[in-house]
Amino acid sequence: MASQDASSELLLFLKQDCETCQLVQPLVSELMKDGVRIQVYVQDAPDYYRELSPVDDTSLEASFNWNIETTPTLIKSSDNGQSIRIEGWDKSGWQGVLGSENLGADLPDFRPGCGSKSREPGVYENLVASYGEPGIEALKIEVGKWEDEIETCYDRGWTDGLPVTPPTDARILKMLQGTNRKPDEIIGRVPPNLVPITVEKAAINAVLAGCKPEYLPIVLAALEAALDPVFTMHGLLCTTCFSSPVIVVNGPIAKSIGMNWGMNALGQGNRANATIGRALQLIIRNVGGGIPGDLDRSTLGGPGKFTFCFAEDETDPSWQPLSVSRGFEPGENTVTLFQGDGIQGFIDQRSQTPEEITKSLASSLLAVGHPKLAEFTNAMLILSPEHYEIYKKEGWDRNKITEALHHEMQRPGAELIQGANGIGEGIDKSRLDETVNKFWPEGLLIVRAGGKAGLFSAICAGWTGGRFRHESTPVTKRISL
Amino acid sequence: MTTSVLRDPTAEKAGSKRQRLDPPADLTNKVVALMDIGKMRGDEFIDRLEELFSERNISTKRYKKPTNTRTAPAELIQKIVQETDLVVIALSDCGSCTSCSTHDLNDLDHLGMPGVSILTEEFRAAFAGQCEKIGFDGASVFTPHPMQNKTTEELHAFADEVVDELLAKITANN
Repeated sequence: MASQDASSELLLFLKQDCETCQLVQPLVSELMKDGVRIQVYVQDAPDYYRELSPVDDTSLEASFNWNIETTPTLIKSSDNGQSIRIEGWDKSGWQGVLGSENLGADLPDFRPGCGSKSREPGVYENLVASYGEPGIEALKIEVGKWEDEIETCYDRGWTDGLPVTPPTDARILKMLQGTNRKPDEIIGRVPPNLVPITVEKAAINAVLAGCKPEYLPIVLAALEAALDPVFTMHGLLCTTCFSSPVIVVNGPIAKSIGMNWGMNALGQGNRANATIGRALQLIIRNVGGGIPGDLDRSTLGGPGKFTFCFAEDETDPSWQPLSVSRGFEPGENTVTLFQGDGIQGFIDQRSQTPEEITKSLASSLLAVGHPKLAEFTNAMLILSPEHYEIYKKEGWDRNKITEALHHEMQRPGAELIQGANGIGEGIDKSRLDETVNKFWPEGLLIVRAGGKAGLFSAICAGWTGGRFRHESTPVTKRISL
Repeated sequence: MTTSVLRDPTAEKAGSKRQRLDPPADLTNKVVALMDIGKMRGDEFIDRLEELFSERNISTKRYKKPTNTRTAPAELIQKIVQETDLVVIALSDCGSCTSCSTHDLNDLDHLGMPGVSILTEEFRAAFAGQCEKIGFDGASVFTPHPMQNKTTEELHAFADEVVDELLAKITANN
């Protein structure tokens, strides 16, 4: 005979979708018939356990409040605040709680329980948001019953023109699970208003952008790169030019989160590519105050100002990844931010040798910014697999290709000075007798990406800030998880 | 009735503007910093401003930012504060120039340096917007836009046109 003292309360959390819960049901029913008071909570199908007169806990509020991790969980709660908790079926444990040595004699000694529904992926954060203390510092914006949350985001000016994911507490909490960094950590000051930004605020904007939590470390690394003074995000945002941050991801994280470096790598269709770049842009807009027409003064803008993010194809071991060329170890996860415009397509379906393709690429690269400008911008060349194959078959690597391109882009100053060839634009007249390089030695970044078919590469012109060689440069940062 | 709660993704900043420092009543024994923001052609405009100030027996010192695309390095700001009494910042004719130079104007004001920023007309609204966002009632003077495709003589003429307004804004009794 089980016993129960008056000062204690017995609680039992069950769900239908749990064999161990079903195993203990007859025993619990028998105990109740013997007068033992047990308050049963059912997480999924209260009707299934109706003979136990359960509380409907399909909202999971009680399960959350009692911090249930497993079903069944039997709790003996006493007035003095002490409680005993038995998870799963543990014969001796139940016998101890109920004071009966013979309890469940025909049952096995032990059966593990199942995971509580309140702990299922994505559920817990919703329960924290609904019944707990989410610990989010950002201002609450209440949305009325008849209001559309997405329209509210538009009305408040939080979007880039496309719909955003409404930043609810549950979504923000889930996003913050993507990093080990503390929500109140300050990452830096976001231009143009130079406002301090926390990990939490970045996470809220990552929600808006449509990121998954596992993208957040990349967003944070991209933000750190953007806020590095030499990236000159301030000028890049406010400039009248076309440019915006171009994000290149290197390392195993690109594959693990499903980024695209192949067909249409620079285009639409991949969630990680699309939303990581967008999150950075939304942070600049919402936290920094970079609003087009206000402090974003771009004459024409460019589609890259929505998002411009892709991964490098590291599947060919003969190709040295961009991150390694910039001093990081192979296999390290990094982001490289480049101040770039949209792309200029490069078409060459005739070149057969490395020398030919080099001359061909160089002739197109010379047009970056203006054919008569030199050491005025940087550039990114996105080399497609078929074009790279021309180099590879002759054993040319990144260094040799880069060196050859720079060499092909040297020109006499007389052709480039202001006024030469009847064109006012050009380099300073004092350089008349010089041999002039198109880019700084470190100013040509080559990234390998694209579908396997197509003798088409892409040139991404750099921003005019690049003329300040040491003041405005691309930045690479390690991604911290 | 509330059905959902969203969280604000913005800086959550709103507030009043801080008044700029009062400039001195006159420029006797004062040194005016002429701060070149580092944008192309600005030096030609400032060359003429320097002449105009000299003609009026106003002492000046020239400074130049390494790039118009960033706010001024702390060392430069400190040097200006140590060596001069007021600042004229010129010549912003782009978005990054405007935003960065407005922060510079604010930073110098915080350090006791009244100043005026000179921008091209096209960036009047951007200057006002940046002042609004950082809560600073900055002073400005505007020249015609565009200026990059003008001759040196035309840029000097721009300086001639604004010098009186500029002097009025860096002295309190005008």
